[in-house]
Amino acid sequence: MLRYWFERLDDSPEDISTRNEKERGNWPPVEGFTPLDWRTTVDRGLFGTRQEYLSFLRTLCLAWGERRLSSALQEGDERILRMVQTLDEISGMIDHLTGRLVDWYGTVDPTFTRKDQGVQERALLARMKGGGDEIFLSCVEEGEHLLSLRNALSREVSLQAEASYPNCSALVGGLVAARLIARAGGLERLARMSSATIQVLGAENALFSHLHTGSSPPKHGIIYQHGRVHAAPRNLRGRVARVLAGRVALAARLDYYRETLDREFVKGSQERINRAGKRT
Amino acid sequence: MKWLEGNLVSPGGKSLYGERMCAGYRVWDPRRSKLAALIVKDPDLDFTPEMQALYLGGGHGTTVSHLADYLEVVYAVEIAPRPFQDLLRLSRGQENIIPLMADAGDPAFYAPFVERVDLLYQDVAHPSQAEIALRNRYFLKPGGTLILMLKTACVDSTMPPEQVFTEAVGKLQHGYRIVRTHWLDPYFPAHAAIVAMVSSTPDRV
Repeated sequence: MLRYWFERLDDSPEDISTRNEKERGNWPPVEGFTPLDWRTTVDRGLFGTRQEYLSFLRTLCLAWGERRLSSALQEGDERILRMVQTLDEISGMIDHLTGRLVDWYGTVDPTFTRKDQGVQERALLARMKGGGDEIFLSCVEEGEHLLSLRNALSREVSLQAEASYPNCSALVGGLVAARLIARAGGLERLARMSSATIQVLGAENALFSHLHTGSSPPKHGIIYQHGRVHAAPRNLRGRVARVLAGRVALAARLDYYRETLDREFVKGSQERINRAGKRT
Repeated sequence: MKWLEGNLVSPGGKSLYGERMCAGYRVWDPRRSKLAALIVKDPDLDFTPEMQALYLGGGHGTTVSHLADYLEVVYAVEIAPRPFQDLLRLSRGQENIIPLMADAGDPAFYAPFVERVDLLYQDVAHPSQAEIALRNRYFLKPGGTLILMLKTACVDSTMPPEQVFTEAVGKLQHGYRIVRTHWLDPYFPAHAAIVAMVSSTPDRV
């Protein structure tokens, strides 16, 4: 039987809700469902008026909401997810800023082009410190500052991912593991995903354009960032990505349900992935 | 519904999330709120101060707050933490919003707290929106109204919106009598509003 919140005022709302576990899988309840009637609380002498009833319920729900919210926001995944998003944002900022500064520096030194300076942002920024006025140099320094910030943050993400997701991190590295989990919306979600979904996680644009227009399907998403996928010969990348995704799916389940590193599993997986990358 | 100088407004004393004010009323923007868009399209809709509503998919709470200006009490259900944070903040400032952090597809979780309501309003981004509306119809009073904002792209982004709409209406008929429907163009493309009432002989789903 479903219980109403006011039947046991000593229990927390969370307990009242989770005690209805049986009904939750079987809705509407077999015995039929009668929504609560606030008038019963008056008959029982709990409240005098509807106003009192509603204001008590509201206070209760506000406090409950706060508790549920803080536990949802403090889950380990949530923090790492926000860190990954900030990291990607900083990368984008560095990219944009460097682009603008190269154009700006072109007015100081017309022979300067990005082409022969390589694409390494740090080297590019260092070379631009040769000229320009004070305000330009401040901007370049800001770019360098952002670069060190990105390094520090990315190290921190890797470290936390290795601690929280040991198996996934051992397979694809902490940063890629964190990205996959961020995109999946948490470790639990990743652990429930099929390897086919994991394989194209992060390639949503390509996937939907495939579904809508029938263009060729994506071979890989975020896991392309893993060395063995993008180092594989072009015609084998799909295969490596597929095998790797299968292994990541298993690793995510190990991380979620067992929470410890399984060295046997990692070793076996590495071998399978290596084999997938060899021509046969 | 209250209109002032060509704006739809709701009778709240002060601006809650940065919306414009108009002679002491809060402007309710149809480009921002699907319910406001529906009211613009459907002049027959009316809300009265003795009505209660169960609002599924409360989001950041902007529409919830306007609806609450018109009604006695709004039970607002939202599961995503970030939007719920904003919803909670708005609920603190408005005495007749009861926030519930719960999944709209799992009514037994919040059923201990929700009474029978006159209006079931649903705006959730979920593939099985019709099923969620059916699962929640037990909260509606006899003669109560369902307003379902159907986000067709959430059901199936590869199907034409009209087809998603027809299928959803077909499913809803297992528990509701459809009163009227509107597409929310130009405010919300590929979004349909379905106004329905509980059918007198509901099937079990």
